[in-house]
Formats: sequence, C-alpha cells, structure tokens
Amino acid sequence: MRLTIRDTKEQVGSYIADYIVKRINDFVPREGHPNFVLGLPTGSSPLPVYKRLVEAHKAGKVSFKDVVSFNMDEYVGIARDHPESYHTFMFKNFFSLIDINPKNTNILDGEAEDLYAECHNYEAKIKAVGGIDLFLGGIGADGHIAFNEPGSSLQSRTRIKTLAYETIIDNARFFNNDLASVPRMALTVGVATVMDAKEVVLIVTGQNKALALSQMIEGSVNHMVTASALQTHKWALVVCDEDATSELRVKTVKYFKSIEKVQDEVEAKYGAMGKDKLGQGRITAA
Amino acid sequence: MPAPVPTDIIRFTNGYIALADGTAVKADLFVSPTLGKIVSGQETFFSARLQPARTIDLDGGLLAPGLIDVQINGAYGVDFSELDIAPGGEDVYLAGLDKVAERIVETGTTSFVPTIITQKEELYAKLLRLLSPRSSPNAAHSLGYHAEGPFLHPERRGAHNNALLLTASTMPPIEAFDKVYGAEGLDQPGVKMITAAPDVEGVMACVENLTSRGVTFSIGHSDADLEQAQQAVDRGARMITHLFNAMPPIHHRDPGVIGLLGDTTRRPYFGIIVDGLHSHPNTIRIAYGAAPDRCILVTDAQWIMDPNLADGVHHWRPGFAFRKEGLRVVIDGTNTLAGSAIPFAECVQNLSKWAGITLPQALVCATAHPAAMLGPHVAEHKGRLEEGFDADMCVFDWDGRVRSTWVMGKEVFRAADVCDGDILRPRNQVNGKA
Repeated sequence: MRLTIRDTKEQVGSYIADYIVKRINDFVPREGHPNFVLGLPTGSSPLPVYKRLVEAHKAGKVSFKDVVSFNMDEYVGIARDHPESYHTFMFKNFFSLIDINPKNTNILDGEAEDLYAECHNYEAKIKAVGGIDLFLGGIGADGHIAFNEPGSSLQSRTRIKTLAYETIIDNARFFNNDLASVPRMALTVGVATVMDAKEVVLIVTGQNKALALSQMIEGSVNHMVTASALQTHKWALVVCDEDATSELRVKTVKYFKSIEKVQDEVEAKYGAMGKDKLGQGRITAA
Repeated sequence: MPAPVPTDIIRFTNGYIALADGTAVKADLFVSPTLGKIVSGQETFFSARLQPARTIDLDGGLLAPGLIDVQINGAYGVDFSELDIAPGGEDVYLAGLDKVAERIVETGTTSFVPTIITQKEELYAKLLRLLSPRSSPNAAHSLGYHAEGPFLHPERRGAHNNALLLTASTMPPIEAFDKVYGAEGLDQPGVKMITAAPDVEGVMACVENLTSRGVTFSIGHSDADLEQAQQAVDRGARMITHLFNAMPPIHHRDPGVIGLLGDTTRRPYFGIIVDGLHSHPNTIRIAYGAAPDRCILVTDAQWIMDPNLADGVHHWRPGFAFRKEGLRVVIDGTNTLAGSAIPFAECVQNLSKWAGITLPQALVCATAHPAAMLGPHVAEHKGRLEEGFDADMCVFDWDGRVRSTWVMGKEVFRAADVCDGDILRPRNQVNGKA
C-alpha cells in the first residue's frame, strides 16, 4: 500500500483526478477488456475529485466516452430520482458534466423487483467487461468501505446490506433529520469485489477520518475496519490530507513521505525500466 | 405506466437557473422540444440511456421562466381593443394578435393576456370569443382575455371613454355582467380576467359569482375606500390593477385601495407599471417593500410598444400622430401620455434597480407571481423552471437584457448582438463585458 499525503482536500482531489486521467489516457484496449473500467464512490470526500475530473474534461484533457463505470452502492427504498439517491448524486456531480455514454454507467438499482438477482447480475456485469481497472473509494469514520459496515465479511460480494445504526443516524441530516425516512438497507459491492479491482485508490480527508485511517493502515487486517483489507491488496493507493493524518504515528507519516520521495528518485533514474520490471505498467517503491 | 421518455433532449448548461424563490442556482436544465416541457435530465440519462441531443452554453447567463404579462393592450401597431365588425374583421384581428405573439418574444415575454379597454357593449361578445387561449408555433402564448372595463368608476376612468362606462344596476346585478361579456365569455376556457371597480353600483355583489366561474377579479379604476377594497378581496378579488394609477392616492388616515398593501390578512397581488413614468421609482420601492411576494410587473403596453421603433413623430392614422421620446410617448403637439411603451424586460431591469433587489428576485414578479395570481390552471404549467412545466424560457444577461427566448422548448428569438450557434455569448466582449 502507498499513502500519499497532501496539504488540503482540494489538493487530494486534484492529485487523484490527475492520476485517474493518466490511467484513462494510458489505457490500451485488449481482447475481452475493451474499455477502461472505473469503480466510483459517492459522498463528500470524492467531490473534489469529480470537480477536477470535470475540469480536465472541459479542458479537453480526458474523454469518458469509452469509460465504463460501476458505482459502489445505492440505497434500497428510495426512488432513483430522490435528491439523496446515489443516482442523483452521480448525475448531478459527474455524469451530466462529462461525455460518458449513459449505456456505460452502472449503478445498483435499489428499486429492483429482485434485489438478489440485481446483486448477482452486477458481479456478472463487472466480470463481462473484464473486471475493474481502478476502484475509487472513500472510507467511513468507522473504516468501512462502500456499505461494508464493521463486521462485514472480507470475502463479501455484492449484496443486500443493513446499514449500521451509526450510519443511519449520521445520514438523518440528509433526510430532514427524520430517522424514519432514512433508508435502512442498501445494495453494495462487497469487500472482495473491491479487492478484485486491479488497482484501488482511496480518498481519506478530514479530521473525522483520522482514527479510521490509522486503524486501516497501522492496525491489523480486521473485519471491524473493512478498509484494512486493502493491506493485502497488491496495488492500493491511499491519498489523504494533513487533517486525516492526526492519529497516525509520526513514524508512519515519515515513512510514507519518504516513499514518495524515493519514488521520484527511482522514476528519474530508471524511468521505463522500473515500469517493465514491476510488470504493473508503472514504477512503485511501495 | 411511466410517461414516454423523449429522445430529443436539450440541455442548458454553464449558467444560472432563476428559481421561484428569487434565488438563482448554478445548475443544468433539460427540456424536450417534442413534449414542449421541462424534463428530468437524470431520468433520461438513466432510463432512456441517452445523452442530450444538444447542449446550449448559457455563457454565465441567467435562464429564467418566460415572462408573463397580464396587462397588455397591444403592441407593434396592433390594438387589441380594435375590432372591425365588417366581414373579414375577425381574421384581421387574429392576424394582429398573432403578429404581436410572434414579435413580443424579443421582450422576453412568452405568455400574455391581451387586455381590452372599455368598449361598446356589443363588441365584447365577439372580442372575448376571439380571445380564447391561442398558441401558434414560434410565438408567445395568448392566455385568454383581460377585460379592463366597462364597470369602472367615472372619477377614476383614466383614458377610458366615460360614455361607455356601465353600472351593474340590474336585478340581480350579475345579469349586467352576463349581458356585457356574454355568459359564454364568462364561462369560456383559459384566462378570464376582469378589472372592475367594486365601488360601482352592483359590482361588489358580483365578485363571488364571477370568481366561482373561474374569472380573475382585479380591483381597478376605482374610487373605493379601504373597507370596500377589503370586502372585494374577501369576496374573491385576487389583484389590484396598476396600483397607484386610476385610484385615489394614499392618504395616511384613509389609505383607499392602496391601503390593501398594509393588510396582514388580505393579500391581493398588485400590478405595477415600472417605466418611471406611471409611478415614481421611489413609489415602486415603497410598494415592493410592503408586499414583495405580491408584486406583479405589467407593461400596460399600447399599440405603440415596439422596441425597434425610432424616436420621433409617427403617423398612426389620418389626422393622428404620436411623438416618441424613449419610453415616453405623447400625442404629437400635446403632453398627453399616449400609453405605455415599455418592453417587458425593461420593467424587470427597472424593478431590480429601483427596489434594490437582484435580477432573479425581480424576475419572480414577472413569472411565478403572475402565474400564481391567474390560478392553478396557469401556475401548474408556467412561471417556474420545474420538471413537467412548459419549456417557456428566457435567457438574460445579468443586466437583464434578453439574449434568447424559448417557447415550448424551441428557440423563437435570439438577440442580434448574441453569437449564432450553441453558445449564447455576446459577439463583442471586452473583459467579459458586452
């Protein structure tokens, strides 16, 4: 795992967006995997990323025409056009502002007649396009990834999930502070679905995510902090702001900062060679 | 069954949407020309799986609902009160109405209520029938009629012909209304607006009957005291016709019709002509300040209204000429105002300036307020940029000038100084300023 630290959440957004733009532009279509496949989150953390991606698109630096997207999750029990649905979020903050083909966007349908089938088909669809190239995500204050609340199996797949009481209370502010109208159920990709992605990039910003960040990086792999599963992913990148490092040990921060520095040096010295040796299409010092 | 999803979506982007609460938000709006409606871009995206067929770049401009003028007597040389009863006269009349509807869109107006001043009694039945709702392609909607008179107070008649004014002295009084307007005229579809003086004999007794038949009753050309005006509102009057004009001026101990502005429970809308000639700018500010949520802009435009008409003397008909000096139009050789000649968009600009409010706040007085005043059959379709509403829209720059006007999702006007193509940008910009 790599941890990249930036001063502000806007800088985190820019860093990740530029990173994704590069991935999309470098992508070479191949047999059985004709499109770049992007996993996408909702919430406040990714907003700066989307904002920057839209800017890059407007500046002509990237096109999403051939990108296929899969969203992480969606509530069950609220209409697709509800202001708080993840369909609305994605349309408002990203899809309507770029040139992505609507046919290439995938979001779990929380209104589906058969929710089991919906989840099962979602996994099949991901497989059919050749798997996810880059899964962008955030983490909850309790270290959850997607709606994989503490205690979720680290082998989980796309499924129906009960929201933790804490999440429901936290979400009440989006539903007129009326607990009864907050959805209690969601469809979400599983931890294993995220882990299957070739590359995972996490956005972690703000003081309130500091404890979760330290637990997922410095703690052990634990189903109570589902994002910690990424410790075993071979190609995971966490980008956080200074606020989110508050609970990390100084040693940890220094280590990851030195990685970034060494990375720059390696890149300057070996260039393409390091890329080939690692067989990952990129140089990494992690 | 979900509604059929249109495939010809136009998206408006890179600008601001004027909302009915007087704010503006940076957001996109999606319309369908085939449906003529504002649609959900999100629904089209996720259901029909379609990107918009066309994107209009607002270039930072303000997308607002099309303006609704509930008091307009004519424009572009056409007088709505004039009907030649000889054969063929009705065709001429309708052609004139269509001409105004086609051209008025340059002032930002997408709906109007043709207003007829006091006429000979026998003309009403014909006129009102001709003024059923009418929408021709690429033109503003004519919503119905506004009959100003003949039940007006002689003392407050303004330019109306004293000899034609009537009272409702029949028994019951409503018979007088049925006789003048014709029962068909009062019960026809569309907007039916009547300006009358509740202090004229018999009129007060008719207000309830009229409003129950879908007529919008507006108090005007009236000498009523406050109590009479309040009673008229209690009986269903919804508006005051051109506040301040053709009514007693406000007296602090006897505020008259204008006193309704200070009423906390009776809250009629009030029309106001914001051309700087019919009311002083300070007066406008007082009225708006008293009841901002009831203010309705009207042009009260006459046949001389035409923004393209140059200043100078214009001949109207033999022996009759008028002199135009900007918005001031007088009968040549006199100082008598020949009527209002203000394009609607300028009323909005003036209100914004004089009442010290934002452009979106001023726009509400020419969109959501008139729609709400006319009642649900209008307010449920027009006056707001919301899903399911008619795609009647106007694009303004932030000085309130019209850049482009759209009716039922089709562009019907573009200002000469705005570029062609899908970017609504002024041709000559210096430092982002036109």
